[in-house]
Amino acid sequence: MLRKNFMLITMAASIIAGAITARAQDAGALLDLLVKKRLITDQEAEEVRGELTRDAAATSSGKLKLSAPITEIELYGDARVRYETREGTTASNVPGVPGPNDTLKRSRERYRLRLGLRGTLADDWFFGLRLETSTNPRSTNVTFGDDAGPFGKASDAIGVGQVYLGYRGLRDFTFTAGKMPNPLVTTLMVWDGDINPEGLAEQWKHSYNFSFGGGSTAPAAESYSKDGKAVAAIEAEPFKVKLDLFMNLAQFVYDDANPENPLGPRSVSGGKLVPNSDNWLLAWQIGARINFPKNIYFQVAPVVYNYTGAGDTFNTFFRGGEAGITNTASLALNQTGINSLLILEVPAEFGFRIGELPVRIFGDFAVNFDGGDRAIAAGHPEAQDERYAYQVGIGIGQLKAKHDWQLQAFWQHTEQYALDPNLVDSDFFDSRVNMEGVVVQAGYAISDAVTFNLSYGYGRRSNNTLGTGGAGDIGINPLDKYQLFQADLNVKF
Amino acid sequence: MKITHLAIALGLAFVSTEARAEKLVIKGSDTLGAKLVPQLAEQFKAQHPGTTFDIAAEGSTTGIAAIIDSTAQIGMASRRAKPAEVSAASAKGVHMKPTIVAYDGIAVIVNSANPIKSLTKKQVEQIFTGEVADWSAVGGSSGKFSIYTRNTSSGTYSDFKELAMKKRDYAGTSQKMAGNEQIAAEVGKNANGVGYVGLAYTKASGIKVMSIDGVLPSVQTVHAKTYPYARPTFYYTNGDPSGLAKQFLDFTISGAGQKIVGQVGFVPIP
Repeated sequence: MLRKNFMLITMAASIIAGAITARAQDAGALLDLLVKKRLITDQEAEEVRGELTRDAAATSSGKLKLSAPITEIELYGDARVRYETREGTTASNVPGVPGPNDTLKRSRERYRLRLGLRGTLADDWFFGLRLETSTNPRSTNVTFGDDAGPFGKASDAIGVGQVYLGYRGLRDFTFTAGKMPNPLVTTLMVWDGDINPEGLAEQWKHSYNFSFGGGSTAPAAESYSKDGKAVAAIEAEPFKVKLDLFMNLAQFVYDDANPENPLGPRSVSGGKLVPNSDNWLLAWQIGARINFPKNIYFQVAPVVYNYTGAGDTFNTFFRGGEAGITNTASLALNQTGINSLLILEVPAEFGFRIGELPVRIFGDFAVNFDGGDRAIAAGHPEAQDERYAYQVGIGIGQLKAKHDWQLQAFWQHTEQYALDPNLVDSDFFDSRVNMEGVVVQAGYAISDAVTFNLSYGYGRRSNNTLGTGGAGDIGINPLDKYQLFQADLNVKF
Repeated sequence: MKITHLAIALGLAFVSTEARAEKLVIKGSDTLGAKLVPQLAEQFKAQHPGTTFDIAAEGSTTGIAAIIDSTAQIGMASRRAKPAEVSAASAKGVHMKPTIVAYDGIAVIVNSANPIKSLTKKQVEQIFTGEVADWSAVGGSSGKFSIYTRNTSSGTYSDFKELAMKKRDYAGTSQKMAGNEQIAAEVGKNANGVGYVGLAYTKASGIKVMSIDGVLPSVQTVHAKTYPYARPTFYYTNGDPSGLAKQFLDFTISGAGQKIVGQVGFVPIP
């Protein structure tokens, strides 16, 4: 008994000593147990508790005070420095542009910082906050030396990139409100990865496990050994499949009308009442991911997008530029209108391993069911079939730990009236539609937290009779050819 | 020779007078300082003539702060020192040493006319956090709760929040009172009143004590820790006490002192 008690006290002392920097308060349960077993007195327990509190208070974590409702909190973020060069080429014989096939080149050194805080609260609530450099919704980059200076700070402001709260109190459901990480399964073809949409999201996910076969594969009588003794039949592993079904619904406030009800009569423009309702982007996504043994999986997640209301910024017919007019005139045609967009997107991914190497084949397909109307409104009734977009690619490896590497390449084709040009990726095709081309990326993990990435993209105009809709960094429309090179050094923490 | 003797005698008398005039400054918990410590002090003074006490019972937080600031020799506390307080003390070279002097059970009290006899821990949490607002929600007659709590410098305020409310905030409608006696008095006057007091204050007229999950606070249930809101109470000193503080602390935890602890209504150290 004495030996048992000694062991218990020794173990407790070791655990308590080891836990000082992490969770001094956890030692309370151990001390209570020791008191309950009458191995120490309450007073002795209090003295130990006091020492632990004192030691814990001296640690870094002990100096951090969190409010009581917070049950878990995580500080995270990343910083990146980038060299980038992008260039675009005008089409042949574009009026007003000096010489055909003229090139506009933009090289720049940039950085970004994202600093986030997310946590869980009592009663199944959670929250998140992320501060980011840049005010651009599709970029967190700040260009060195681009403001008054030298070394000015005008463009180095920090903005709120994400701020959201949510609830996970109902089994399989997650509800989120605020400016949030994109809750939809998608690709760069449709959504730039830097966009944090604002509004509401409701997510449901449930997993089903299936097991096929397994158990004994041969009757014991048929089993034998050299010495004639019966041996147990080999048991086959059952074939296990896990099916994740999920649904993501979103109601994003795309454009706020201000005011909804003006003083006096509503304004009239062009003989029509000025819209006075907010514009919402609605998304309905269902998806399935089937996980087979040996890390093989397949995922598909079709999503439908449509837009309701009017807003006061994007409620203009999309034109997307024109071929055969001056560059200035083409750029002046509306590039951001969101009329006639009812889009089905079907992102899919198939993953497997070659040895230890993860491989994923991915793709995305989108069609705008109202693409014909969008083309007509843009003055191109002959281009009503320019409503499709697709992407197909392969990725090998992943950047998780030091010395990991990753290669990825994809081909993308987007037609002029297929997608919302305000959401597409701002880098590889310069925020444009009616472009097609290839992207190649390579990455290497210098350490667990530091990665080095190289990216190259080449794009060309898909339909030479149309402009290349969208407002990008290269002031050319139609953008006949486009190249991008980026070298990134990333630190994650 | 006579003059020398006289001088020595006068000198000794002066030293002796100085020793007898020692003053012990005690600050902190109202739970301990309103009844128990004054009675202990009276008894102690009877045994140590000339000793004077300066007792200020304004909440445990003030007692711990007084030790950190070295403005008292003993800090009374009905709660443990918080990490921030321990850290602040360490920064000033003060070693917060707790000594358990008695046990207490925080009793949930209602008006004696209230038909309710018992509450569950969950109901107590719901009442004091404002999750429910009416007695009918916990099996009583219709009527909005009048919630009385201690103020924020009180150790009982913190302890109750931790022991009974999962550290959640008090209801916005709760009324903060300066001491246990005030809470007992208010609940005694208000048919819809509900509050909490230390065990020593449960004899006030017009109130009754709720059993929690079927357990009433008592010497037995507090010792056995079966009463959910049982807690130790402390004297805090800067390191091991010395001098008069040590004498008074030793007296408090002595048989004679613990007898007074029991008489006042606290639970003596077993």
